[in-house]
Amino acid sequence: MKRLRPERWGGQLLTAPRRTTSRGASRCLRQQQCLARSLPRAFSSSATHFTAASKHEEIEYEDGEIETIEEDVKSPSKSPTPAFIPPHPNKTSSKLGALHARLRLPPLLPQETLARTLIDPSANSKSDCNNATLAQLGGSIIAFHVSEWLLVTYPRLPMTVLFAASYAYSGPKTLQLIGKEWGVETAAAPGNEVDPGFLQFKKLAPGTELAGGGPTDRHAATRRDKAYFRRGVSSRVVYDDEFGDIIPKKDNRNASVPTEEAYASFVKAVVGAIQLHAGREEAKAFVKDHILSRHLAINSLFQFQEPVRELSRLCAREGFEHPIARILSETGRLSRHPVFVVGIFSGKDKLGEGSGASLLEARTRAAVATLKSWYLYSPGQDARVPSDMEDETKKHEKWEPVHIDMGEVIH
Amino acid sequence: MVIRAIRKPTTGQNGVGAFILQCKRLEFHYCDWAGSSKGMNSFIKSRLGNFARLNPSIEIAISPRPSKHPVIRGHYINGREKSICVRNLDENQILKKAELLRDASGEKLKVVKKPVKSLNESVRGIWSPFHKPDGTGMTV
Repeated sequence: MKRLRPERWGGQLLTAPRRTTSRGASRCLRQQQCLARSLPRAFSSSATHFTAASKHEEIEYEDGEIETIEEDVKSPSKSPTPAFIPPHPNKTSSKLGALHARLRLPPLLPQETLARTLIDPSANSKSDCNNATLAQLGGSIIAFHVSEWLLVTYPRLPMTVLFAASYAYSGPKTLQLIGKEWGVETAAAPGNEVDPGFLQFKKLAPGTELAGGGPTDRHAATRRDKAYFRRGVSSRVVYDDEFGDIIPKKDNRNASVPTEEAYASFVKAVVGAIQLHAGREEAKAFVKDHILSRHLAINSLFQFQEPVRELSRLCAREGFEHPIARILSETGRLSRHPVFVVGIFSGKDKLGEGSGASLLEARTRAAVATLKSWYLYSPGQDARVPSDMEDETKKHEKWEPVHIDMGEVIH
Repeated sequence: MVIRAIRKPTTGQNGVGAFILQCKRLEFHYCDWAGSSKGMNSFIKSRLGNFARLNPSIEIAISPRPSKHPVIRGHYINGREKSICVRNLDENQILKKAELLRDASGEKLKVVKKPVKSLNESVRGIWSPFHKPDGTGMTV
């Protein structure tokens, strides 16, 4: 789970001078990398509001390379600057107002900020006019709420499935779907004359080759880049992004962005804007309503390689009796369509059941069903998540620790 | 690595959690001269303001369409649009048509035969001859 530091990203919206303690050492690597990616594009033209604490920030990549980021160190502006410079001060838009009402955004969130969330850094590189900082903040909030909900609701999910589930809830593809389901359309090209109710970004030219998603596992990464060695899955929590993907070393700083990315940063920026203007609880409720309420059959994310073997290792680890597959019933053994129903038993307990056209298939299906019923244990959909304790009304209640599982079987 | 994961996005369920009204834009077209727009013109003058206030999540556009019948056109989030010609209708009838467009989902009209549509699998599972509630399933 990620630690939230909103004061770092919402810099332009908060007029109070920011603390300049030494933060380089305490910053988590992933945040450094995220910042490193967003900084050059977001803060390239004007860094007047962004005051960097240290001159150099060092990032250690997984393969041991160290990259030093040079940040512009500028003194905080002396004259009191306005908290927010609206992108189109004289423009009102019925599209924007309708979007505000459609999302039931809190009235504290002004339309100027909503207009700003619709401007991608590729459309306007001024950091106080585009959504880069808001998206950074909102993305962290979304990732935090999704991961805490997943960890509490499905404490036994294997790491790879956990990453896939958080990708399903808050990955760029899903955020693009959400943005489209909000009725937001894209402007053909960014510009001052565009209605502020459109999503503005510089579109990729037709025929541009997309970078494609990062490799999702170690084998894929090795295949792609022979020289690149990855540690185990657990290292992804530290080194990789919230979906377990490698964070690209170099941002290709190409001005154009894919539509998916533009929509994703818009949705993230809306969450960030709600957090800044209306508060934590509102942002949490928004994430719950719009992102966590979506439908996902988590049992369809699993892909087992050797379920029978894994099940026997699991039983050995948990101290159950060795699992034995027994035929429960069968029909048409000698016919063209035989059906076998096989149950997996550990002592007298039946752990799972599956049917198939051959004995082996039925046993494999039964093992898969057993493993899924183990990994998908859930204390309930309404289990209390850690951030619930931040609610003022619940502060007096006693915190019951969530179930922390040993983790998946490794063999 | 033994367990691999399949990546897929989640499916939206409008109304579970947040509800998004599917009609995003209504266009009202009128003609100053033609008699068939008489009701539309008085609707725009007297009723439309209130209608817009009650439905802030719809973007409303008014534009003339000279020498043509008056039309209300709704644009929906799924990208489709619906148009209703409101020639010779009075204010109340036009309001009804506007509400009809507001409440539509934008989908093509289709016959709904089953009362419940669900994304979840059936709780009962697929029927099997081996399992019967009284324990007298098929034995071989």
